[in-house]
Amino acid sequence: MSENTTQQTQTASTDDRSPTDGRSPTTTTGETVEQTRDEWTDYEFRGDAKLAVEDLDVHYGDDHALKGVSMEIPEESVTALIGPSGCGKSTYLRCLNRMNDRVSSARIDGSVKLDGQEIYRDGVNLVELRKRVGMVFQSPNPFPKTIRENIAYGPKKHGDLDTGLLARLLNRSDADERDALVERCLRDAALWDEVNDRLDDNALGLSGGQQQRLCIARCLSVDPEVILMDEPASALDPIATAKIEDLIDDLAEEYTVVIVTHNMQQAARISDQTAVFLTGGELVEYGDTDQVFEDPHSERVEDYITGKFG
Amino acid sequence: MADASQTDARLVESETTETDAVAGVAVGLSAVLFALAVAALFERVSLTGSLFGIRTVTLLGGLLTALGVAVVAFGAGSRLGYVETDPDPSAGLVAGFGAAVPWVVVGGSAASQTLGLGTTVGVLAGTAVGGGAFALTVLPREDVGSTLPLGSLLALTGLVFLTGVIGPTWVWELDWAQQAALTAEFLIPAATLFSALYGGWASAKAYGGFGARGRHMGAYVLVYLNALSIVAFLFVLVAFVVVQGVPGLLNGVEIGLGTGPQTTVLGVSVTLPVSVPFVMNGVALFNDFQGVLPAIVGTVWLVLGAVVLAVPLGVGAALFLTEYADRGRFTQVVEIATNGLWSTPSIVFGLFGFAFLIPRFGNGKSLLSGMITLGFMLLPLVVITSREAMLSVPDEYRDASAALGVSKWQTIRSVVLPAALPGVVTGVILGVGRIAGETAPILLTMAGGTFVPGSQTVDVLGSFQFTSAPPFVANPALLEATSALPYQLYALISAGVGASSNVGNADEFRWATALVLLVVVLSFYAIGIATRYYFRRRLTHT
Repeated sequence: MSENTTQQTQTASTDDRSPTDGRSPTTTTGETVEQTRDEWTDYEFRGDAKLAVEDLDVHYGDDHALKGVSMEIPEESVTALIGPSGCGKSTYLRCLNRMNDRVSSARIDGSVKLDGQEIYRDGVNLVELRKRVGMVFQSPNPFPKTIRENIAYGPKKHGDLDTGLLARLLNRSDADERDALVERCLRDAALWDEVNDRLDDNALGLSGGQQQRLCIARCLSVDPEVILMDEPASALDPIATAKIEDLIDDLAEEYTVVIVTHNMQQAARISDQTAVFLTGGELVEYGDTDQVFEDPHSERVEDYITGKFG
Repeated sequence: MADASQTDARLVESETTETDAVAGVAVGLSAVLFALAVAALFERVSLTGSLFGIRTVTLLGGLLTALGVAVVAFGAGSRLGYVETDPDPSAGLVAGFGAAVPWVVVGGSAASQTLGLGTTVGVLAGTAVGGGAFALTVLPREDVGSTLPLGSLLALTGLVFLTGVIGPTWVWELDWAQQAALTAEFLIPAATLFSALYGGWASAKAYGGFGARGRHMGAYVLVYLNALSIVAFLFVLVAFVVVQGVPGLLNGVEIGLGTGPQTTVLGVSVTLPVSVPFVMNGVALFNDFQGVLPAIVGTVWLVLGAVVLAVPLGVGAALFLTEYADRGRFTQVVEIATNGLWSTPSIVFGLFGFAFLIPRFGNGKSLLSGMITLGFMLLPLVVITSREAMLSVPDEYRDASAALGVSKWQTIRSVVLPAALPGVVTGVILGVGRIAGETAPILLTMAGGTFVPGSQTVDVLGSFQFTSAPPFVANPALLEATSALPYQLYALISAGVGASSNVGNADEFRWATALVLLVVVLSFYAIGIATRYYFRRRLTHT
């Protein structure tokens, strides 16, 4: 590879574990590690950046989980985050809607801008942020309620739908709006045809794949702009996974999708651009999916993609 | 056993099934013996009487002897190759100790008491006999080791009963200041019980053909008999109270239109079609039949008051501890304090109520003081169980809700609490079971006289009054002393013969009170279980 000649190599010492710029190679074994380069993560795209992340550092207690990550995520596209376990890609994802605030030991430095607005500053309305940046988790987590209640839950809690006793008594119930919303979300999540005759059944009675699509539908119910997905198909069988992948493809027409996955074929299939995180919490390469998979700049990324490690 | 004979035995199917059948009958026999022993222990079967035309002791002895002989025969048959089995080289140390213990007792008591050789010889003889049994269990092959010592123990016990060495009237005076005596009424059922367990174990092992399968069978029978015995004890206890209590409860029952007392339901005066004086009357001079109505109503109000006080406080505290407070020293201290409070003796709570609450609520024992005292007793359990229930609500639900932008309190209200409710209700059920039967705190804070007339039945709903001065609502009934069932029972027992004669047959009256208490507590249980079922169903079905 031509890049090899330009790569600077260095031997990292064991005590050099807290790099200041977050881009130094780290290893405890003292072996030779390639130096990452800024231009590997400079990804040029047309259109506006939906999310712009700059110098994001995350510590969990003494553990430096994410080191100076900067990347811009384009609108209405699918961005895949791949990398070995513990490389910080889920941490990165959870920074984008400030879910890491819920971890009391987490310390987050840097900047994340949603449509040019900083989300890490005082006075940010977390309710509004999380309505705009929705999230789907690794294991399907529907509430132990009916399918209908699962989808109507978010809008109800935000006061957009009122189907309570008082509203019904005053003839002000939004039951029709609710049912329309439930149908729209379920159709968008490609689940409507399978469950339309049992909307009042408990959601826990659905299969794993259906539960995950219900979670996607629930996420759509609050009308988000960005959907973060944390390995949404890792607990599912191949058929359910294929359905979720088709769904993600459709969603990208309207939404900005950021997806963490362990499955490199999946990332190659569904994403427009791919970011590769490697052990130590650094973003090594970010670019067009085809480029990253076919002609990566970094030797370590190539090793990872071709299955030599990770 | 040679390979050839094993193959032969396997080919001859009828022989195998016959021995299986005999071993199965032996297992069944030990189950029957076990049941007889439990029944005899609770005096449901009389030792001096007879069963199926045979004297009970003779029957027990005969069955034990037969079981013992069958067990030994199995061991011998297996060792000599008549029965196809798959034994291990040894029965194992645990079985050895298990067999040694009863033989130590038998050898020791026989030498020191029956033969009158004194304590020292008794100890030596016990050790020697036990050691022998141990060696005989551990050293030979498993089929002999797990049958011979136990089978001969069973046969010996059976023979002792059969020959009348220990008969129904046998008594062993222990020399503890002439205070204690071991009677046949206890010894025979207890010995039969343990022998049946041993016999069941040994014959189940034989049924399984020894080895791994035999051990599995033996353990299965032991566990099964133990589980059954727990259910049996519970059943016998309830049955005992019911049998003793029903005559008093049904005293003077009348069924038919117009026989019952008048009562007002929603402003309409109704005459009940049944009259059960025991639960509809108090105690009064001119009553034909005396009853415990004030105590029943007192207990119900007491429990309701305690639940109303403790549940919101306890659930709130648990919510704070699980959802809001950071896990650290503070929550640890609260946890230790609640656990300590839960194990605090009830009389201490009673004293607190007596010294702190009574002076503040009219300086006399009152229903309100009782409610608050019992509420405090209930509180720690509600906190502990609610906390457990909330901790077991998966974090995924909280994450999912937070990711939708829903605030913490709304998440708690709509997701965490509904998911935790079945657990909370379970805690309340357990707590109510405890406080409903509590006597000491009521004695100190609430209870009035021993016998309460029906006219003094506490009427909480009917006593609400509006006043012109703050607090604008008053309820004198809450500030009156009243009775409760456990206290009533205690008072009846400690009242002495003279006072007890007020209620006619005092013994019947007591048992009926106990029965009513049991029924009241069990109905609280039933309500709790139905509630839990409802909430759990809402989480998983519909």
